[in-house]
Amino acid sequence: MSSAERVRVRGLNIFRPIIYGNTAVVLNQKEREALTTPDHTHRWTVAVRSAASAPDSEIVGGADDLSYFIKRVTFKLHDTYANPTRNIDKPPFEVSETGWGEFEVQIRITFIPESGEKAYTLYHHLKLHPWTVVGSGEPEQPPLETAAKMGPVHSWQYDEIVFHDPFQSFLNTLVAHPPTALPKTKRRPIPFHTANPASLEASKGGVPEFCLDMEREEAERLEAARKAIIAEQDKWRATLIEKEKELEKMNKSLSESA
Amino acid sequence: MVGPSASDVRSVLQLPNPSTPTPGPSQLRRTQTVERPRKPEGLPREVYSLIGPTAVPTLVAQFAKPRLKQKPNLGGSGRRVRWEWKSFGNGARSDGLKLSHWTKAGADPEAEYPFAKYNTQSNVLTYSQDEYTRLLEDPGWTKEETDYLFQLVQEFDGRFYIVHDRYEYPNGTPRSLEDIKDRYFSVCRKLVRNRPWAGDDAGKSQLLASLTFDKERESTRKKYLASLEQRTPNQIAEEEALYVELKRLEQTERKFKKDRDELLRTLLGIESGLPDIVADEDGLNGGSASYAETRRNRRKGGEVETPVSATPSASTITLNQPAPKRQQSAKSAAYDALHCIQRIDLPPNATTSTKSSHVPVYLRSYKLPAPKTAAAPRIAQVLGELGISHTRLVMPTKENCAQLESLIEAAAALVETKKLVDKVDQDIRVAKIRLASRTSDGDEGETPGAMDADDDGEGAEEDEEGRAQSVVSGRSGRGRKQARRSMSISSVDTSTTGGPKRKKRRGE
Repeated sequence: MSSAERVRVRGLNIFRPIIYGNTAVVLNQKEREALTTPDHTHRWTVAVRSAASAPDSEIVGGADDLSYFIKRVTFKLHDTYANPTRNIDKPPFEVSETGWGEFEVQIRITFIPESGEKAYTLYHHLKLHPWTVVGSGEPEQPPLETAAKMGPVHSWQYDEIVFHDPFQSFLNTLVAHPPTALPKTKRRPIPFHTANPASLEASKGGVPEFCLDMEREEAERLEAARKAIIAEQDKWRATLIEKEKELEKMNKSLSESA
Repeated sequence: MVGPSASDVRSVLQLPNPSTPTPGPSQLRRTQTVERPRKPEGLPREVYSLIGPTAVPTLVAQFAKPRLKQKPNLGGSGRRVRWEWKSFGNGARSDGLKLSHWTKAGADPEAEYPFAKYNTQSNVLTYSQDEYTRLLEDPGWTKEETDYLFQLVQEFDGRFYIVHDRYEYPNGTPRSLEDIKDRYFSVCRKLVRNRPWAGDDAGKSQLLASLTFDKERESTRKKYLASLEQRTPNQIAEEEALYVELKRLEQTERKFKKDRDELLRTLLGIESGLPDIVADEDGLNGGSASYAETRRNRRKGGEVETPVSATPSASTITLNQPAPKRQQSAKSAAYDALHCIQRIDLPPNATTSTKSSHVPVYLRSYKLPAPKTAAAPRIAQVLGELGISHTRLVMPTKENCAQLESLIEAAAALVETKKLVDKVDQDIRVAKIRLASRTSDGDEGETPGAMDADDDGEGAEEDEEGRAQSVVSGRSGRGRKQARRSMSISSVDTSTTGGPKRKKRRGE
């Protein structure tokens, strides 16, 4: 690599949209009997993928091969698993396992050496049980039969890996692999997210897909909330000013009568 | 007939009639229809119209009738409009005063008063004590005076001349109009700048721009105008004379230069190096040089122009500082969008950042702003009520992260305000208790008196006993009564209930 390429491009951020998370399905009786660990109730896959989904794919995201900038993804599973640290050096960056309980998966993304970046660690709560609306009265954890009928559980988080002032060579590599853009509008169910409980209905009925509408919708929610807060703030400020005036009047009459 | 008609004048002067040689087709036709019975048979109409004054007796008809504009039909087909004296209510008034005015008969009596909408309310900003201490402190102004100023501005709808005229702050320093305006606008600017803004940035900076006030400039301007007004006639005359002199000198100078150029041109020709010599010898150095010059100029001009034209208007530059650099061609913007590139404006001195200052790779959602720890639970609660998680976003894109950040800021400000309201509430409660205790202090002197009135002096002794405990002890009943009287006078407005009754009793 020439020294000219080891120059950082200043004032430039380049990011790559990724998703990380898991999909889980309930095992049926036959499958469970086939396992060496019959107490396992679910089969799950935890993965790091590109955000956009390939057309008609059976998985969430993964339209692009991320190995052009990710060298290795390490999934650190619960200690009860045999060799809990799983290094995945080539795509797809995912681990499939069976299990019975939810736990926190540590995901460590190592970038290619050209990036000059250290590995980045993130966490994902492995989700096995179907999403329920908190406070809806439904049991947090429906029985397995019901859960099985509800289909696979998806728990995915969109995020953007931001490279700040990348090296020219790394930038060239990234630019050579533009990410597939997310579809503008909703074509399939959208992935459920706890930050948007209202999306539960929209998340049902098939393999979900991330789309730009989700971003717009969230922006609108945030904007509406901000407007509400500012309106509230104005109201409270008016109250405050009024009360201050009242207090002032009282203090005045206090000092006068003293 | 008062004087000779136009046709008489024309015939005397032997002038052709102006309307006949080039009459408009419509006019001609009209005169003909009028004149037809008089026109002899077999005579061509052109000839007929040229014959003489007899052909144009309808001068009035020709000039006046068709040339006048049609009278506008006011008030519809000549029908007379009836007006009625009716009372009306002005929606902009709060006192519901009924005035009367003339209206067209049949107008809807319930219709809204059309001028009510012109009674616009100016919304003068207000500020809390906290905001004042945080942002608005000014050594030249006290909060009371600022309050007074804002009250005046509100009262007089921001008409600063009136505000200045009525400005009479007790024991205050005299304020000029500029002082007043400067204080008012600077306070408004600070408030707008520091409060969370509901709209977009452009609206905010527009509002800020409307609130700018340059005190220095304004006073210089006024001083200049005043000095201009205060010139004596002599000074004005002198100024004018000087101006004429200057013009004359300039003219002489120009003439002299022209003569000199003329002379040089005749004596030296092209070698004089004068720029405006038209070199007849084409392709010689003069011509080509000037051509190259223009070429260079044009290219330079082009270079200068392109960045200007790339940015749509000067206003956006001032509104949005990073705009000029970020505003690239549509193509490169599309390129950046495709490759998810975001460009940041670098501060010029930051180019030599070392390895240690490098921002390592990060996930955008991990850089979400965390609210201040002290207020965090309450902020979370506020956001939770609105169905927003303050730690997680579905799509943590750059825009949404920024949105969440401003949302958290707004929520923090709200929590802060609420806290202040609670504090002031508490202060009010304390003040109320103090006031109440003070009035009851007064009452303790009064109520027994009132009771005395009711009991008709029966329980006077017991009251004396009771009072001995409540009021400062060690005084005689007589002395206490004296004290009571003086107290009732001093606290006459705080103890309204006891006062009159007591007096009544005294009168008995």
